[in-house]
Amino acid sequence: MGNLLEHMGIERDRLHFSWISSAEATKFVDVVKEISEKVRALGPNKKLVKDYN
Amino acid sequence: MEYPQAVPLKYGINPEVCLKLTKDKCGTCEEVCPANAIDYTQTQETITLDAGAIIFSPGFKPFDPSKFDNYQYVNYPNVITSMEFERILSASGPTMGHVTTFPKLPAKPKKKKDKLLAKKRKSPKRIAWFQCVGSRDMNKCDNPYCSSVCCMYAVKEAVIAKEHAGGDLDCSIFFMDMRTPGKEFEKYYQNAKDKHGINFIRSKVHSVTEDLDTHDLQIRYVDELGQIVTEVYDMIVLSVGLEITPETKELADKLGIEMTANGFCKTDSFEPVATSRDGIYVSGVFNNPKDIPESVLDASAAASAAGDALSEVRDTMTKQVATIPETNVVGERPNIGVFICDCGSNIKGVVDCAHVTEYAKSLPYVTFADENMYACSQDAQDKMVEQIKEKKLNRIVLAACTPKTHEPLFQETLKNAGLNKYLFEMTNIRNHNSWVHKNNPELATQKAKDLVRMAVAKAALAEPLKEEKIDVNASVMVVGGGLAGLTAAKSLATQGYDTHIIEKKDQLGGEALKLFKTAQGEDVGEKVAELIGAIEANEKITVHTDTTLEKVEGFVGNFKSLLKTGDKTCELEHGVAVLATGAKSSEPTEYGFGQDDRIITALGLDKRLKENDTQLDAINSAVFIQCVGSRETDRPYCSRVCCTHSVDNAILLKTRKPSMDVFILYRDIRTYGERELLYKEARELGVIFIRYEVDKKPVVVIEKDKIKISLNDHVLNQPVTLETDLLTLAAAIVPRKDEKLANFFKVPLNDEGFFIEKHAKLGPAEFATAGVFVAGAGHYPKPVNEAITQGRAAASRAATLLSKKDNLFTSGTIANVNVEKCSTCGVCISICPYSAPRFITEGRFEGKADINAVLCKGCGLCVASCRSGALHLRGFDTNQIFSQIFALGEVV
Amino acid sequence: MADNDTKIVSFLCNWCSYGAADLAGVSRMEYPADIRVIRIPCTGRMSPKFILSAFREGADAVWVSG
Repeated sequence: MGNLLEHMGIERDRLHFSWISSAEATKFVDVVKEISEKVRALGPNKKLVKDYN
Repeated sequence: MEYPQAVPLKYGINPEVCLKLTKDKCGTCEEVCPANAIDYTQTQETITLDAGAIIFSPGFKPFDPSKFDNYQYVNYPNVITSMEFERILSASGPTMGHVTTFPKLPAKPKKKKDKLLAKKRKSPKRIAWFQCVGSRDMNKCDNPYCSSVCCMYAVKEAVIAKEHAGGDLDCSIFFMDMRTPGKEFEKYYQNAKDKHGINFIRSKVHSVTEDLDTHDLQIRYVDELGQIVTEVYDMIVLSVGLEITPETKELADKLGIEMTANGFCKTDSFEPVATSRDGIYVSGVFNNPKDIPESVLDASAAASAAGDALSEVRDTMTKQVATIPETNVVGERPNIGVFICDCGSNIKGVVDCAHVTEYAKSLPYVTFADENMYACSQDAQDKMVEQIKEKKLNRIVLAACTPKTHEPLFQETLKNAGLNKYLFEMTNIRNHNSWVHKNNPELATQKAKDLVRMAVAKAALAEPLKEEKIDVNASVMVVGGGLAGLTAAKSLATQGYDTHIIEKKDQLGGEALKLFKTAQGEDVGEKVAELIGAIEANEKITVHTDTTLEKVEGFVGNFKSLLKTGDKTCELEHGVAVLATGAKSSEPTEYGFGQDDRIITALGLDKRLKENDTQLDAINSAVFIQCVGSRETDRPYCSRVCCTHSVDNAILLKTRKPSMDVFILYRDIRTYGERELLYKEARELGVIFIRYEVDKKPVVVIEKDKIKISLNDHVLNQPVTLETDLLTLAAAIVPRKDEKLANFFKVPLNDEGFFIEKHAKLGPAEFATAGVFVAGAGHYPKPVNEAITQGRAAASRAATLLSKKDNLFTSGTIANVNVEKCSTCGVCISICPYSAPRFITEGRFEGKADINAVLCKGCGLCVASCRSGALHLRGFDTNQIFSQIFALGEVV
Repeated sequence: MADNDTKIVSFLCNWCSYGAADLAGVSRMEYPADIRVIRIPCTGRMSPKFILSAFREGADAVWVSG
């Protein structure tokens, strides 16, 4: 999946997979923060986006 | 509220400090409470309940270490209890899960003295745990018993602390015997040692002193070689034991139930949850110190015991709920009603709920939107029903808290309004929004709007779903006629269910027939015979001895099993199954077993004791070796029962002939709970305990007149040689490892071959497969009383299911097949972990896939795997998920 | 990129990560408001189509968590 997206010009850091048990709230927050940071660093995604105009 | 998991999760007023109640001042809470829930006039009420049985579960109190002057819990800020440490590790605790020194100070101290101390706060580099604080101690306190849980929780706390802090935290546990006899506990202990690098030091620390400036703690102890060691730690955690409170003892006295000298309830090994008073049952730590799984088993067992006693009056006081006919909405244009919950200030304090409500009105198909202060309150629910009826709403969206706890409540509301309960969509603007973005109201409001829009888009596509009624055959098959199986069968038959016991051997009783006495001194043979008598006399029970299970088909409520007795086979239809196949003693492969009659297993000694073998009186010396085949690399679990068994038999030998020299060679003595008293008694009688290390095992040499055993004495640190006439080996308990049976019911086995239960803590007597239950040593080695408790617990879980037989339904959110599109590829059949899809074998759609609604758990794995698009997951259908994605993409 | 622009479409398993998210809320933890949760019964329900579609709809990232 990551390869396919990269092929289409979507950076790897835009797709994340994780496994968190329902008791791991701290891990959940850490993962959200991590993804959010990475994505903000990449800036908005422009590839593949449907053009509404 | 004492803790965030309190049930009900509501605030209460402490009347001792409330200014309004004590001085008639203040009253602020009444003014600010938006729900008008404050009522100062409420007083204590006496309510009289008529009950047929009482289940007494008063619990325990952690031991208060204040009186131990050598550990200075009161005076040293860095000495804390394990319970306090547990809170520190919690993500919702005072430091959000970060371990820091001076944990007893408030997070933001106000007093000057505390402020100064708080400046010295640091992340600890070295933490020590002291075991047996308030347990196994008659010196400084009066608790001679073992609290059963502290070793394991200390190991757990050390592992979590280390995982959290990373590599440079040094954790040491000071202990006497490491007691990890629970299922999977020994592996956890070994991992803590080998993988996490936790230090285990076998010593009791005698004094702690504090550095006046840094408040670091210096401890002194004697190591295993007898040297005095001084070390400095940043923090000390006292592993406090479990204690029964004076209030509990008083209440127990009032109830007229007998207690042991330590205040625990006195119970019989064969009726382990019955108190001395008829009709009063007991569970939890009051019924001896125990961990979570054993407490849960106790609870279920107590329910079964009470259920047995009250079986005649079952369902005589049940009230029927009137059902409201369902409105047919198929084909109607969606009329979506959106309800936004303020949750008091929980949501409204952050999210602009009025704005979100207005916004919701602008969304497609939404014809009504309203804001509620507390959507879950009774009056709001009643209002919602009226609004649904009045506005003829046919899809409902609720933006509130989590569907995981509240969806069923609101689905009930829909039913009351005559709507199918699946025409409901809930979106979480509290747990996932207002609570986690409280400093960013604007973003939170925007997010709430997005979430509502997504939910509305999904709800528009919601269809009414049907729940199929499950027909339940109210009969039971118990596999295994040992103690656990017999107990389960007896309880279920008493509650009125036809029960069949399948036993491979020619007689009932199982391994218990080989046991002499229980740890409490009851004669096992006598009691088992009584139980078998009761089983045979019970008309509801059919016993199939010499019988094996050849085939099992079906699912919960509708199993069909093929039984084979000799050459004859017969089919048995049953609704549930209890697997109680037990375990057995292994054949030792070391210490000269099999080469000499004087070397026997624990069961071999029981046999001779049972037969009252007079040769035992001729013996001058007896030796027991523990952990024979347990706690080794290829069998990495503790067999749980052997320490108590050997100690008990040592006492029997020593009482028979006081001049006999009796030795127990052990690694850790694991006489948990009040079994510890036996260990104490054995030592007082003069039984000698010598510890050995697993890499320096005793060496046995067989000579003509004596057996010689040499090992290193741990106290003298010198080699010793014992001469003996009788060597008893505590052979490991091994499971039957019946893979065929496990496959029949699709239940898992662990690496060693024990059954894996549904949940290690909360589902210890049932399997993940619905309608299949587990009891006895097939789950894990266990003594008589625990096998019986689990047998009762399995019966209780089974009865819970059977008693609902007239209103048991499948879930509506399951997969279904569009046969037109199905290409008969079979991917769904091979991928489903629950065996729900299968090919239709006859009729028009022969060869196409079909989903068994009872087996389907609604995970959607097959739906995602279907290449033809023939599978749909109701309630989470592909178009519904797409609609949510599209709704998110819509430019607002 | 401004704070309120990022959109992370998050597919959370009802039994695992969705529960963790609930607990994070109960524990009053704080995290960036970028995620938009779609509750799925199990990560087995996921299909690549959902991921592609999310990007097509303008998601800046997709997160699948079991």
